[in-house]
Amino acid sequence: MKFKLLAQSVLFGAGLLMVGLTPAQSQTREESQGMVLLRGLPTLDTDHSIAIVELDPESDQFGELLSEVEQPDIQHPLHHLYYSPNGRLYSTGLDPSCSLAEIGLSRDSSGTPVIEGFTCLDTQGQIVGEDIMWATSNGQEYMFVTFMGGTGGDDGGSVGVFDTQTNEVVKIIEARKSQVGEGEPYIMYPHGISAFDDRMVVTSTIHPDMTTGVGNVLTIIDLNTLEPIQNIVVENEKPLDFPSSPVEVLFARPDMHADIEPAILANTMFGFETWKIPYDADSKTFGEAEVIYSGVANETAVPLEFYGTEDELFISHGLPGVVKRYELAALPELVSSGPDIVADPGAHHMIFFTSASGRDLIAVQNNLLNLGNAADDDPTDVDFIADLNAHTITIHDLETGERIAEVNFKERYNKGVDNVEGLFGSGFVHHH
Amino acid sequence: MLRVFLTAAVAVVIAATAWVFWDRARGPTATPIAGFSAPFVFGRFAVPPDNPLTQEAFALGRHLFYDPSLSGNNQVSCATCHMQALAFTDGLAKSPALSGGELEFSSMSLINLLWGQERFFWDGRATSLEAQALMPIQHPDEMDQDLDALITELQASRDYRRMFRKAYGEVSAENVARALSTFMRMLISSDSKYDRFLRGEVRLTAQEEHGRKLFMAHPDTKVSLRGGNCIDCHSQFLTSGFRDALDGFSNNGLDSDDDLPDGLMAVTGNPAHKGFFKVPTLRNIAVTAPYMHDGRFETLEEVMDHYNDGIVVSDTLSPLILEADNAPEAGQGTVGLRMTPDEVQSIIAFLNTLTDEGFLTNTQFSNPFEGDG
Ligand code: HEC
Ligand code: HEC
Repeated sequence: MKFKLLAQSVLFGAGLLMVGLTPAQSQTREESQGMVLLRGLPTLDTDHSIAIVELDPESDQFGELLSEVEQPDIQHPLHHLYYSPNGRLYSTGLDPSCSLAEIGLSRDSSGTPVIEGFTCLDTQGQIVGEDIMWATSNGQEYMFVTFMGGTGGDDGGSVGVFDTQTNEVVKIIEARKSQVGEGEPYIMYPHGISAFDDRMVVTSTIHPDMTTGVGNVLTIIDLNTLEPIQNIVVENEKPLDFPSSPVEVLFARPDMHADIEPAILANTMFGFETWKIPYDADSKTFGEAEVIYSGVANETAVPLEFYGTEDELFISHGLPGVVKRYELAALPELVSSGPDIVADPGAHHMIFFTSASGRDLIAVQNNLLNLGNAADDDPTDVDFIADLNAHTITIHDLETGERIAEVNFKERYNKGVDNVEGLFGSGFVHHH
Repeated sequence: MLRVFLTAAVAVVIAATAWVFWDRARGPTATPIAGFSAPFVFGRFAVPPDNPLTQEAFALGRHLFYDPSLSGNNQVSCATCHMQALAFTDGLAKSPALSGGELEFSSMSLINLLWGQERFFWDGRATSLEAQALMPIQHPDEMDQDLDALITELQASRDYRRMFRKAYGEVSAENVARALSTFMRMLISSDSKYDRFLRGEVRLTAQEEHGRKLFMAHPDTKVSLRGGNCIDCHSQFLTSGFRDALDGFSNNGLDSDDDLPDGLMAVTGNPAHKGFFKVPTLRNIAVTAPYMHDGRFETLEEVMDHYNDGIVVSDTLSPLILEADNAPEAGQGTVGLRMTPDEVQSIIAFLNTLTDEGFLTNTQFSNPFEGDG
């Protein structure tokens, strides 16, 4: 495993979705269909696309693309899908011409969902869109988007605040390390995002070109003023000799489960660790940052996503490609709730659903990398990336973790699979 | 010159006759509904494979729906009790019965029937629209029509023979049901202010938005969340009940055990379903007064008074209602949401955003025997 190379060429995505099906969603039995972002593979001469895939192994259509819209004109693919609380579908994007998009969905007269296309939104120069969440500032809800490239430069990075109705930029939250005073809070290469009450947290991950710089802090943003107020360093072990590169965060909080004491959890992509930063809601202060999971000790690397069901928290680890599971009620401590779900290298995003016969399932998208290798323009023929790019979605029994089936997108469609989201928003209720 | 004209005339007659024969001989033409598009957020729907949505079936269904000759006395059509301007209700607490007096239940609005519960009527006794459609026709107090007599009557009409042929082939009771179902399935309301808000086209006023939030929230005093819990039963986008199994039926606290009607229990035989009724859609609710299965409430204010502090406890009362209390520490004399008057008004303001003027006046859904039909 060549971690150095890996570190220089990886950009990931991720959305921390809290999943909890309310009756409002159980209305639909389309939950076994996944909305996926597929990556065209240049050597295989395919285009990027947005597609709907059937993921219930019990279905005759298992693995079939039920609808697909290709994006031949966009060099870099769309990145992460998110449903707004009102059911609108958005995607962040890696191409400067489309860093954020709204995807049009409808149904035809047989009830079949149809992807109608997508509209790239004006981000006012913010590039490399990563995660999206909807949160409230002074009683008004906004769409917050992390842009890892921000408005450009060596220490760029911004959090774009958008009007939820018109998709217009309301504010760009920026604080360059090179421009704020010594010791003042900065925002750099933000990726993960989460919030509780009037505090938002974003990570400082890595410069989009993968070489200019790597971050090692979290930035706290005051949602009243929409200004950064604090940095918290999350760095300890350096197995790759790189800054820790915190990637995804989850502000564990009581509305996820009444027993939860609020705290930030953060995964560090190159530190391989999960961190906990306790939060005192009365004094609005954060406690000592502490490592609560070590990848080095546990032989896992590249921890990525947090996803929650009603009673469990799931964390994906790109290597060796596992999803670890914990008691939701025990958060912010990580108390195991069962054996690892063994997916494929690159284990990343996931969705939860039931099969036609009512079996609870988890589908894991196994593909770490969202950017191609610039040198030969093909993300698939490079060893170290191939190690983290199974190009599969594996389907497992949720209770036992047993692997039931897989869809190999490279074999079947000559494409990679970069993201999966439930067709009807498995992340509708609790995003991040 | 005359010869030329005659020859031409003969040719025209022959062509016309041939066309008529050909038109009669040929099977149904299934033209897909042009430009059909339904909001994604309404969720999955399924149309029976043997009754796809087609222009021909819709046109036939629309005529049947508005045609009083479907009734025994040729005076009552479906539209008598389901009027478009009132979102396909009749504005009465209980519709008049043919034999005098009134029907047991209040007329129901016919909106977005492609979604929501797959059972119809307040007590859910019909399991498909096709099964439902022939019931009012034969019901002695609704349309009181013998089906065989109806088919004979329809067969006697050249227009109907033609419309049936195009839509399905033959004139039959089964095809009457299919066509009516297609017409009703197409009654899609998706352009209210709320829909336009969901699409990002308009903003709600502060009061409407407050009401929307309350509608969508189950109150939780532990985290100071105030809510009206409406969404617990009236789903988020459709505002009708849930589709799965019998989740779309419940007891919302109208009557005590002593006077609780059977409701769904009459159909399932399960005592746990006593007093359960179909959770109706709230779309266009502002024009469908009076409210509830027996039309007991005249206004939305009265409906809100009911949910706020007029809940009547019975054995099968929904726990979702029993638990939803914004001020549990306040006096226990009543059961209800205990919201402030402002909050109640906000929910009503939100309910008013569910009115879809375009739907209520859409000429495609209007009486085809009148005007531009
Ligand atoms: C005399 C008045 C009257 C006539 C005529 C009438 N209906 Fe109704 N309709 C009602 C009433 C009352 C209900 C509720 C009855 C119940 O629940 O038992 C109802 C309920 C329905 C429902 C159920 C809706 C739902 O959401 O479950 C449908 C569908 C319907 N009618 C269609 C029709 C059709 C089609 C016709 C013509 C063939 C028709 N009705 C004729 C009064 C009428
Ligand atoms: C526990 C489930 C439940 C909850 C919660 C609930 N409803 Fe209902 N609602 C029903 C049922 C069931 C009916 C039909 C009852 C009947 O007629 O017997 C109904 C009927 C109605 C009607 C009358 C509809 C008509 O066509 O006559 C209105 C209006 C209404 N509800 C509004 C609301 C609002 C507003 C809220 C929140 C404040 C709410 N409901 C909460 C189950 C619920």
